[in-house]
Amino acid sequence: MIESLRYIAIGIGATLTITSSAFVIGAILGLPLAALRRSQFMVLRAMARVYVELVRSVPPLVWLFLVFFGLPQAGVSLVPLAAAILTFSLIAAAYMSEIYRGGLAALGRGQWEASSAVGLSPLDTARFILGPQVFRVVGPTMATYGIGLLKDSALASTIGVVEITFRAGAEAQRTGSGLTVFLTAGIFYLLLSLPLALASRRVDSRLRARYSIA
Amino acid sequence: MTVHSENGLTRPMLTAQNVTKTYQQHVAVNDVSLEVSQGEVVSIIGPSGAGKSTFLRCMNFLEVPTSGTVTIGERSITIGPDHKSPSRKEVAALRRGAGMVFQSFNLFPHLTVLRNVSLPQERVLGRSRSEADERSRALLERVGLSQKADAYPSKCSGGQQQRVAIARALALDPPVMLFDEPTSALDPEVGAEVLAVMKELARDGMTMIVVTHEMAFARDVSDRMLVMADGGVLECGDPRVIMKQPTHPRTERFLSAVLDR
Repeated sequence: MIESLRYIAIGIGATLTITSSAFVIGAILGLPLAALRRSQFMVLRAMARVYVELVRSVPPLVWLFLVFFGLPQAGVSLVPLAAAILTFSLIAAAYMSEIYRGGLAALGRGQWEASSAVGLSPLDTARFILGPQVFRVVGPTMATYGIGLLKDSALASTIGVVEITFRAGAEAQRTGSGLTVFLTAGIFYLLLSLPLALASRRVDSRLRARYSIA
Repeated sequence: MTVHSENGLTRPMLTAQNVTKTYQQHVAVNDVSLEVSQGEVVSIIGPSGAGKSTFLRCMNFLEVPTSGTVTIGERSITIGPDHKSPSRKEVAALRRGAGMVFQSFNLFPHLTVLRNVSLPQERVLGRSRSEADERSRALLERVGLSQKADAYPSKCSGGQQQRVAIARALALDPPVMLFDEPTSALDPEVGAEVLAVMKELARDGMTMIVVTHEMAFARDVSDRMLVMADGGVLECGDPRVIMKQPTHPRTERFLSAVLDR
């Protein structure tokens, strides 16, 4: 039992690497993508829209296989971990852009108008006025998405990334005790996601109390 | 003191020439012109849907007119078939000439009162933080809110928020102030404290255009009154004269409706 625990725990590193990298890269790439959705040029708006819809309508597992098995045909071969990070980052960017978009919509026109009326540049408006407010609004949603990402990262086991689920599968085969092994894996995921959920709830209620943002 | 720009004594501070704004089929503002001299206070009144706010918002290009020319100080933008659409820089330069106060205040809720007033000064005018804060505190004092400097807008009453919004606009030293129904979202009692600040501004010689339903303010404070309905101008002149003897039956109907309330 303890031995299985230790064996599976080794996968935590890869699980966290995929989740946190994809979360951070997706959160960054989602910004320009959300901005494109509001561009005054129709072509840019359409391109961003197509990207988001495409990513969301195809299962993540298919994207993962496309990147890992498909890209080598185009001359780009990635090790499993890199392929998983790339795939989940590109998927996360699409979802994050949608989260930002919702947050921006929730702010309403008044903040834009006040910013332009006082003469703030679009960049300053994003940086000082919209950005800080959007992040406060979307923080909890982003955390929820992060938890989803953590669970989706289990898919990386299918291309041979040695993360929690991969280690659990191997251990189950070795010992034949699938129940305890996968229960253990489940508890690992639970323990990893709990702090994120708690932290987001705490930050959320603190910010709401301070700024009275609905 | 009544300063009519028509008398040619004072240079116009703000000019709107043949401003028209249409949305698809709907004509919100129909060929409206207005000249405002330095230090003059003009009230725009009229029934809702008259195009008052749209016209005012065309002055600082929050709404881009479909056609017409807006001039504030030295800056001028013309919109029309023979003119290319103005660059962001040109619009920003024109806006520097006019401070705007909204019906719904639109303070930045994540910033303290002081930061609300200081941030635009730092980013737009390039003032240092201490310079901006000093000016902000002076302005907050002027609108009677120095004690609220470190509070967030949510901890201020509506009237206080609107006074902060006035301070925020004044902080950029605009030659003209635009007010878009500044008291409509407020209880009459609270509105009075905002009107008091505006009266003082007018007394200090600020050039102001005020879209309002406050008839007493329009009569007592403004030098001229512009009456609008259905996107056009019904009449324009001395508020006391218009309120006593409106020349247009539509004005009469509107005035009797608001004054009977």
